[in-house]
Amino acid sequence: MGPAADASLALRSEVSPADACTVGESTRKPSSSLPIDKQKPPARVKAAASLQLAPALLWLPQAWLLAMAVGQIIAGTDWRNIVWLAVGVVALGVLRSALDAAGTRVAFLSARKSLSELRQTAIASLARRSPLDMTRPASGLAASAITEQTEAILPYLARFQPARLKATYVPLAILASIVPFSWVPALVLLMAAPLIPLFMALIGWRAKAASEKQLVEMGSMNGFLLDRLRGMTTIRVFDAVDLTADRLRANAESLRSRTMAVLRVAFLSSAVLELFAALGVAMVAVYIGFHYLGQLPFGAWGGRLDLSEGLFILLLAPAFFEPLRELSSVWHDRAAGEAALAALAELSDQGIAIVGGSDGNDQNDDDNAASVSIEALGYSHAARDRDVLEDFDLEVKPGERVAILGPSGSGKSTLLALIAGLAPLENGRIVIGGTHLTSATADQLRNRMIWIGQRPHIFAGSLYQNIALGRPDVDEARTNGALALAALEHVAEAHGNLQLGDGGSGLSGGEILRLALARAAAGSGKNLILADEPTAHLDTVTAREITEGLLEIARGKTLIVATHDPILAARMDRIVRLFPQIAQEAA
Amino acid sequence: MGILHTFRPIIALFYRERRSMLLAGALLAAVTVLAGIMLLGLSGWFITATAIAGLSSATAFAFDVFAPAAAIRFLALARTAARYGERLTTHDATLGVLAGLREQLFRYWSRPQSARLLVQRPSRLLFRLTADIDALDSLYLRVLVPAAVAIVTALAVAVTLGMMHPLVGLGAGTFLLLTGLGVPLIAARFAGASSIRRAHALEALRSRSIDLVAGQTDLLMTGRLAAQVEGVAAADRRAAAADSRLNWIEVFAGAGLGVASALLLGGTLMAMAALASAGAINGPVAALGVLVALAALEPFAALRRGAVELGRTLLASRRIGPSLAPPSPPLSRTAARNGDTVCIANASVTHDGAPLPALHALNFTVADGERVALIGPSGAGKSTLLALIAGELGADRGEVATAKSALLTQRTELFQDTLRDNLRLAAPEADDAQLHRALDQAGLNELVASLPMGLGTNLGEGGLGLSGGQSRRLALARLLLRDAPLWLLDEPTEGLDGATARDVLQRLRSAMPGHAVVIATHIRREAELADRIIILEHGRIVAAPRRGEKVFDTALAALRPD
Repeated sequence: MGPAADASLALRSEVSPADACTVGESTRKPSSSLPIDKQKPPARVKAAASLQLAPALLWLPQAWLLAMAVGQIIAGTDWRNIVWLAVGVVALGVLRSALDAAGTRVAFLSARKSLSELRQTAIASLARRSPLDMTRPASGLAASAITEQTEAILPYLARFQPARLKATYVPLAILASIVPFSWVPALVLLMAAPLIPLFMALIGWRAKAASEKQLVEMGSMNGFLLDRLRGMTTIRVFDAVDLTADRLRANAESLRSRTMAVLRVAFLSSAVLELFAALGVAMVAVYIGFHYLGQLPFGAWGGRLDLSEGLFILLLAPAFFEPLRELSSVWHDRAAGEAALAALAELSDQGIAIVGGSDGNDQNDDDNAASVSIEALGYSHAARDRDVLEDFDLEVKPGERVAILGPSGSGKSTLLALIAGLAPLENGRIVIGGTHLTSATADQLRNRMIWIGQRPHIFAGSLYQNIALGRPDVDEARTNGALALAALEHVAEAHGNLQLGDGGSGLSGGEILRLALARAAAGSGKNLILADEPTAHLDTVTAREITEGLLEIARGKTLIVATHDPILAARMDRIVRLFPQIAQEAA
Repeated sequence: MGILHTFRPIIALFYRERRSMLLAGALLAAVTVLAGIMLLGLSGWFITATAIAGLSSATAFAFDVFAPAAAIRFLALARTAARYGERLTTHDATLGVLAGLREQLFRYWSRPQSARLLVQRPSRLLFRLTADIDALDSLYLRVLVPAAVAIVTALAVAVTLGMMHPLVGLGAGTFLLLTGLGVPLIAARFAGASSIRRAHALEALRSRSIDLVAGQTDLLMTGRLAAQVEGVAAADRRAAAADSRLNWIEVFAGAGLGVASALLLGGTLMAMAALASAGAINGPVAALGVLVALAALEPFAALRRGAVELGRTLLASRRIGPSLAPPSPPLSRTAARNGDTVCIANASVTHDGAPLPALHALNFTVADGERVALIGPSGAGKSTLLALIAGELGADRGEVATAKSALLTQRTELFQDTLRDNLRLAAPEADDAQLHRALDQAGLNELVASLPMGLGTNLGEGGLGLSGGQSRRLALARLLLRDAPLWLLDEPTEGLDGATARDVLQRLRSAMPGHAVVIATHIRREAELADRIIILEHGRIVAAPRRGEKVFDTALAALRPD
């Protein structure tokens, strides 16, 4: 059946904001590890769908009773004798409604359960994916796949599957009920049914290629708006609001006329379905009429149909096409649903995992500064064609403050990430405070570490929430202490409990780094600080303040800083210089 | 009624954009449904009549088969044609309305206040906006058209049955309207709250997913990764609960309409039996009546989904409706008096929700052709002052008079468009020669010359990706194209490597004569362009040394070297 046939298809394909900034389907890496059946609906969805067959099949006895009742009326039976037939019609109707409700509900429940499970799997594997994994999806892409795109899964599982099942079995059951009375209407319907997909395919085929391209463009209509909204500052700066608004309008209008040219053909395929359904009913009615008049005496296996039998056949004729129409109206659910299943499956790819990752909640009570010992470390994942770190050794004494100094690309950030267990080692070993870093110990070891990245993430929430991060050991007093230590009181005054802007907009670079310091200072039981280029992108005054804050927090703890800032490096006890591929120690 | 009030701006937009097509679409939809009902009713009448006539060969011979058979075929074709026309018209109308809606939304978000909100929370606002636009397109197709069709159907059924007996027609019509519209309306009422909960749960799901992926390292290192995973799951559970409730409502509405349909069918059957046995109608007409009743509730089933979506549509139009109001006048900009390009007197600015002003009673002038650097620790008010001069912000108090300005923003925003149109944003009338000259001045001509499509090359997604340095140069070319006596530069070379930065600055410097320039910076090489340095602290000017003064050199020396 022509996938371009459905009305709502054209309007439902608009992309979401995050989609608009993601890479096109073709450039995405195909996930070879993916088992094919992951994209197929689960078995319980199919079982639930079969429940919806019952109400469609119950139309057979209901139509029979109805035809009988009309036959009785024509035969002149007193209306009192028809009451029981009418009661039967109503009772069957009520039963059908109840069964349909139950079937819809069960199909929904199992589909919704599948959706939650699929989301969970994707989320869990995203959480485990190492930040050093280059193929890890960007947050916008992941969020859009998990939120907007997966919304298509529910209609696909809950509506498309039952519709497909009905379209497969209900017409067969109807044909089987008609044949015993007369083979002609059965033949008429049988001819019409396969002709429908044939004609729809013929028309739909040509339209399909064009309309798919068109749908992509329809999506770009939203994309155009979102793209321009995102760059609103620039548009305002150049007084180009009117210019852009007029272009937006002109684009949308020209897109509309081009879309309509395609839809005129695409809708033909659904018109064919309508036409055959209507003509099928008409031909059945006309045949039966002529049969009664004796002009078409054949068909009824040598006998003659009586009125009730003819009416029964007439009542079944529209029901024969109904499942096909239903299927065609949910056809677009399938393409969207399967695409969403594939996108989720791709998110659920394993890739490189972090070491451990189950949040050891046991508090560290060892307050002594940790030693760090790195032996024969080798790592190459982050770089495409060369080792970032090769046979690297480093000994850091408890309480020592060490700067890892080197240009970008020398592997200093990777080194820090490996100490934190953000990716598995390829060679060598890391021992922290006497404990070997393995997947069994990583979470416990991370409990003693503080991490200060160069671009701390600002979470959706207030300044206070961004410092505490919901940690059970960080109470209001600790948060306020951390706030004071990081000299953030004036920001707290300005922003208070208001939600911070996306990605910290409204906060300066220095304030974001101070927030990271406060976040670090708020935790308890830490004895090793890993700071990754904390003063990059900062002016000298702010960089000096951040350095002081860092040293303040590092009192009594071991500190390892990766940096290319000589001023910061000079404040450490020792500088380790890293050069691309070669690590060499200097005093 | 509350609902009507909420929908008024949206319906007004529909009406303004495509009134006749919208009406035609609804009309054709009604014709489609009526033709379907008549097709079934007439078929029933025809079969019954022929069955009676066929009982004796004389009546069978006299029976006029051709008129009803032709009518049946005509109805079949009419139904198909009407359906095809309906789909074309409704889609054309909806697309037209959406085009208008997008333009209006864009204009709304271009107002200074809304534009500021947009900068603060782009991801959430844009997500919301897309979801709302999508919800609104179901208003016409899923709610308004089916409702109109349902009412027309009820009237037609009432008239048809009323011709057999007025009471039957009245009863059936009333029953149809009460249940057919009543059930969806009740469903819509219940669905409202759940729709809103669902929309909010999805927003939470989205923002928590972003936090999980973008903040993964921070979460892992603070032992909160599992908690965040649980947070995402909780958002999904909230969405699932709302989904489930909406599904209950849909299931109940569907069952309600199903039961109503069965009752109508049973009732009509009994009424027809009673009328026939009383001799008021003949057999074929009775069959017609039963079949019309059978088909009568079909159009109401379409309202079942529309009713559930009505809640979401209400939320969308409540949020989008205000943006469709006529725009307020733009921020007026007073021209500075002769000799000065910028003149700010006693101006204070307080950001929304902030207890302290970002700028305190500031006095600041820039003479024609003067070059001024704004320095100060982060958060001192440099960006606020630039925004005030650019007219992006209004002062709460004080006076601001400035010449027309061109702002080089910290982030270079490029659009998914051709290189030519990205440049012409700054100068809509510029021809290709002018564009090439600007690109040459910005140091991009080699790159552009190497592109097979030249100025027609698409930028952004799916097009040419520019490096940080190249986009900066493109921004510079835009600035050069802009015919403005005042340049506002916000950290023009931040994030560029030393060599590129010096080249960009050199090109800026050689194009500067004839312009007054204000540079917000914390980098020495940028501040060195200035004749005067303004040192800001906590929204106040603490010093303003000129070149040659000792403080000028001290201030320069304190800035970040390359």
